[in-house]
Amino acid sequence: MTESSLLQAWRDLPTDAQEALVTANFAANPLFAALGFNSQERLPSFQTGIGAKAVDFAARHNTHDDIFLGNKSNPYLLVELKGRDINLAAPSAQYLSTVRQLHEYLISPNCHSSQWGLMTNSYYWQLFRKHGKVVFPATECLATNEENLESTVKLIREKIDNPSKALVVAVYNHKGGVGKTTTTINLAAILNLLGKKVLVIDFDPDQRDLTQSLQRPAKEVTLYKCLDDRRLDPIQAVQTFALKNKQGQEFGFDILPTDDELAMSDGGRYLGVQQQVKKSRLSELIDEVFRDKYDYILIDSPPNWQYFSQSAIYASDVVLMPMKHNSIHSIENAAQAIAKLIPKIQQERQDGSPRVLPVFFNGEKITDPQREAAEKLIDGLIVKYKRLDRFDLTTYFYPRRYWRPASNDRHIFTLPNFAAISSAGFSHIPAVYQNKTAREYYHGLAKEYFLQ
Amino acid sequence: MISINDAIQLMYLWTHEISVPEPTNAPQFLVDVVAETLTQHGGKNWIPVIVKEVGRGEYEVIANAFVYAAAESAGLEKVWCIIVDQIEGAEYVTKVLAGEIVPKLNLATASYEQIQSALEYVSEKPNSALKGFKVIIAANRISEAPRQGWKNLDELTKLKCGITKGKKLDALKEVFSLSSPKTPESKVTEVSEITTPDQTIANETSLETLSLTALKALAKDRKVKGYSKKTKAELIDLLS
Repeated sequence: MTESSLLQAWRDLPTDAQEALVTANFAANPLFAALGFNSQERLPSFQTGIGAKAVDFAARHNTHDDIFLGNKSNPYLLVELKGRDINLAAPSAQYLSTVRQLHEYLISPNCHSSQWGLMTNSYYWQLFRKHGKVVFPATECLATNEENLESTVKLIREKIDNPSKALVVAVYNHKGGVGKTTTTINLAAILNLLGKKVLVIDFDPDQRDLTQSLQRPAKEVTLYKCLDDRRLDPIQAVQTFALKNKQGQEFGFDILPTDDELAMSDGGRYLGVQQQVKKSRLSELIDEVFRDKYDYILIDSPPNWQYFSQSAIYASDVVLMPMKHNSIHSIENAAQAIAKLIPKIQQERQDGSPRVLPVFFNGEKITDPQREAAEKLIDGLIVKYKRLDRFDLTTYFYPRRYWRPASNDRHIFTLPNFAAISSAGFSHIPAVYQNKTAREYYHGLAKEYFLQ
Repeated sequence: MISINDAIQLMYLWTHEISVPEPTNAPQFLVDVVAETLTQHGGKNWIPVIVKEVGRGEYEVIANAFVYAAAESAGLEKVWCIIVDQIEGAEYVTKVLAGEIVPKLNLATASYEQIQSALEYVSEKPNSALKGFKVIIAANRISEAPRQGWKNLDELTKLKCGITKGKKLDALKEVFSLSSPKTPESKVTEVSEITTPDQTIANETSLETLSLTALKALAKDRKVKGYSKKTKAELIDLLS
């Protein structure tokens, strides 16, 4: 049995086994077998294409005439190994540097095809999923012992064998007016133009901006009814936003609109949705029905921290957070959400997700003094959260510092607002479909965060 | 194990044995204030001057000229120096590491992120020719253009993203270079080919990397007749 040989090898490893020993006596043989990869389906020291950097193992299932060991390209899984003498428990310094190392390998030139990254020292394990260029945790950092080793490896294998198609993105900031809805619909439109299948969920029933701006009211079967009653078919609730160009090509994306019932259900005179539908219900609905039908599922969430926004974040793989450089609250709120609110959901989910993507500025053109003022505010917030909450916000605000910690590159992605984007609301068509400049800016946003 | 020959040479050299072909741009007051600080705190230059040996007991500063200027102004008789090996490229690496030369990003192979960062760097410099430049759009267009096949950076002006010939293109030439991925050192060899035109260039591909102007210059040097009205392809045939 593979299982028992895995446990046998694990027991036989000395408690201070170094990386070479973990590799030779544990990873190379019983581990890859337990993960379902035979000896022709894995390669040691796989060159990533970044300098001489190599990942410990790369693996991919063979098809009849495409043997990974032979053609050495398009890996599916990357495995980074450490010795038992390395402390891989989160959030040790060695854990963090290994996460970064694995992340870099996953997005490296030779590993574009990779979908999973696994890191382990045989005691601690963490699996990461890659979708486009987004890397996010698929499990927490799991500690193993004799009892749960086999079940842990089995869990990892199940995940690796069943990748989901869609990336679920919640667009969130609990400050209003930062352009959540605009971002959601234009991102949906540009991803669609780039050939992706996109579903947008309007989960902001109080404002209903998205549903209204695209003029796609709810149908007979509504999102609310589907959340409440599992017997209904949620696909019936999907609306389509479609356009035709002059050549007669059709394009567009799907929408799950919000409805009156959902709006009224958030407290007030009626029995609140909280009492009838669990917070995890949206997540289940997406996983069961929509996840394998789309490439991207974008959720527009309300500007607060209540039932709907918590549900949206609970359902997402990653959280995209727009802010405005001239709105102090939007920046402070982003910091608070990253350091305090979203970690609560991460704890509930117990799989390490959702991951918060680095923030970006959305809106008016930014002048140098304004940028300096915003940077000063952000620097202050970083210091404050480090001291009071022991939470390091640096790389959420200054993503380039993640890759180059010694460099003071404070680049924050900025999407300038201009007339074409805001006036698009009147024509009920996303600006991306109408205006070339808008298209290019949102293409930039899609590239910055999602596409490789 | 590291061989003793690979170790970097740190030496305490006589200030008067060192010359400075490229003096620092720092203003006089700054040199003086730093010199004073240096004297007050023990007179040890913890950051070494980087020199190369040009003769017996003769050295030339290749980087950190500011440190040398301060040491000299402080009246130090000797100064701590690193002597850079006499190997090819060492002087260049030193200047690059000291931040005194900004090396160029090869547009044939650069990633989208690198292009974006380089464009930002240029457009955010004080008095930049690219003030108000739309970095995201330009980065998009450049990264999606067929850069591997470009012969020179003038192609940038054809992308219609606000890069025009003259000041703007020149500003970008300070950060971008272009060399085909197959012959990564062609940039260096090109230069030597132009300056020593007598040597015959047998290799056609290296001729193709030259601009029309460079080819004509080469033709002139080789005393080829009627070169001025020839096309690039004809010139390559003539010269190879």
